[in-house]
Amino acid sequence: MDMRTTGLKGSLMAGVLAVAGFAWSPAVSADEVDVAFGDIATVESLNFLIAIERAKERGVDVKVTFFKSEDVAAQAVVGGEADIGVGTPYALIQKVKAPIRLFYQMSALRFFPIVNTEYYKTWKDLDGQEVAVHARGSGTEAIMKLMAQKNGITYSSISYVPGAEVRAGALLQGNIKASIVDSTNKKMLEQKAPGKFAVLPMEGVNATDEALYANTEFLTEQAEDVQILVEELLKTWREINANPAVVADLRKKYNLLADLPAELEPEVVPYYEESVPTGAFPNNGGSEQAAKDDFEFYALAGQIEGDPKSLKVEDFWTFDPLNKALAKVGTQ
Amino acid sequence: MDARLEDPIAAGIAAQSDEAAGSRHQTLWWRLASIALFCGAWEIAGLVPINLAFPTFSSTVAAFFEMVGDGTMLKAYALTLQPLIIGLIVSAVLGISIGVAMGLRKSVEWMAAPIFIVLQAAPVAAVIPMVTFIYGIGLTAKVISVCLLALPVIVLNSYKAVANVNPSLINMCRSFLGSRWQQILKIILPDASPVIFAGLRLGISAGFIGIILAELLITPTGIGDLITYHRAVANYAHMYATIASVIVFSAATLSVLQWVEERWIRPEKKGS
Repeated sequence: MDMRTTGLKGSLMAGVLAVAGFAWSPAVSADEVDVAFGDIATVESLNFLIAIERAKERGVDVKVTFFKSEDVAAQAVVGGEADIGVGTPYALIQKVKAPIRLFYQMSALRFFPIVNTEYYKTWKDLDGQEVAVHARGSGTEAIMKLMAQKNGITYSSISYVPGAEVRAGALLQGNIKASIVDSTNKKMLEQKAPGKFAVLPMEGVNATDEALYANTEFLTEQAEDVQILVEELLKTWREINANPAVVADLRKKYNLLADLPAELEPEVVPYYEESVPTGAFPNNGGSEQAAKDDFEFYALAGQIEGDPKSLKVEDFWTFDPLNKALAKVGTQ
Repeated sequence: MDARLEDPIAAGIAAQSDEAAGSRHQTLWWRLASIALFCGAWEIAGLVPINLAFPTFSSTVAAFFEMVGDGTMLKAYALTLQPLIIGLIVSAVLGISIGVAMGLRKSVEWMAAPIFIVLQAAPVAAVIPMVTFIYGIGLTAKVISVCLLALPVIVLNSYKAVANVNPSLINMCRSFLGSRWQQILKIILPDASPVIFAGLRLGISAGFIGIILAELLITPTGIGDLITYHRAVANYAHMYATIASVIVFSAATLSVLQWVEERWIRPEKKGS
């Protein structure tokens, strides 16, 4: 065989393989509800895991897969490998017109701007200074930008350090002086270096941290399963909001996060005790107003393009499952 | 009468070089056809679309020129190349020195070989998060990531090259009463240089992997930032354009390097 035919066959074969590879996408079994979670399971996801266990008790076959990041989880949902995703895929819906809709607001964004008190004490001190946030286009960046706007200051630069635990570590080492972390790491900083760091006040930032979303097709085809899941989410959230300590009992009851290290166990209840008063877990699973707040916030974060006021809630959210569930369990 | 017929040897050489030029020409066309086929398949796959997040080839090219136009691409490369170049220079200098020393001296070989053999076998992506624990999240950590990938290949290639120098050449040097230095400079290094250069090229391509891993796993700067950012905000054409550009850039760098090697450093290799 001469070089030419080998070359041609090689190219053709590569082309066929490439197209075949692209076109392959595994089907999801019909009755199972596959949830793609864009993070590892931690204390912070216990409430969700409890609600899933309860939905399972009512006959919904839920299977959770944990992914490295929200982006990957979103791809799994768009590609049809998972049914329900966790996150805020506004950009995905707006830019690639993915046929997915958000249907349940699980938590509001709760982050804490932290400064090293040796250098800064108030927002005004951060004028012309450097701050570190999670990533370009992330919620943490949007919060810091929003607070700069509100306080009439500008940062000299924003650096990107992914992972709240990495930023907390860098704050402790003194590599960064101002950043924004989640409640777990805020607490860690307060314990490891009492008095060294201060939390700057943050008001008027309303945005979704984690929401559930799914393909529109799935939402109509398995509407019953979705409704049961939403009902259990509402009930669990309300139970935790009324008594955060219940999380520890429910974790034992359902044997969740069984491999949680012993030293982390005492952190379960305090996390929920701290988060509940800040309104992190909405009682009613989201609303049109919450969606509109998200438009404002995520436009600022660079996730959504165009004037947030011109966006239609129904292009991003569907409230059918939530409304049906609320009709059953009542609105609070 | 045709000049070629008068001198059969010259005629033979001329025919051979004609043939060589023709075959080079054909190879080029087949290569271009292969690229065109790939781009065509990509375009069709994007039009189908096989996945909502999969852009067409044309939109990816458009995104690439948009990023070149607004300067983000250049800025990203400037940021990425800094740790890459520092890391590669360190790896090349250290790697060749260590590798050659290992080939020349048993004691160095015993001490260093296990480290680099283990490092080469290690899945470095798993080691990079550990780098941040020791070296933080700045430039140093990224340079170290580049070295972690590039150094073992360069060291082991240089070592193998020196260890496997043709013994009859060394014997010859000895028969002519060459000193140890003459042996190293005039026999060992020239004879080992093809494999050392191959190691350098492999090291550079490993360095590219290192820097992209570091920028994706440590802090997103430069190219890593463009990839993560555009993925996060669902600008998939931009994300693919960035990834494709770094692949092309890496391939082009290696080709240029090979050309430089053939043209200036080891002209005898050309055509072999």
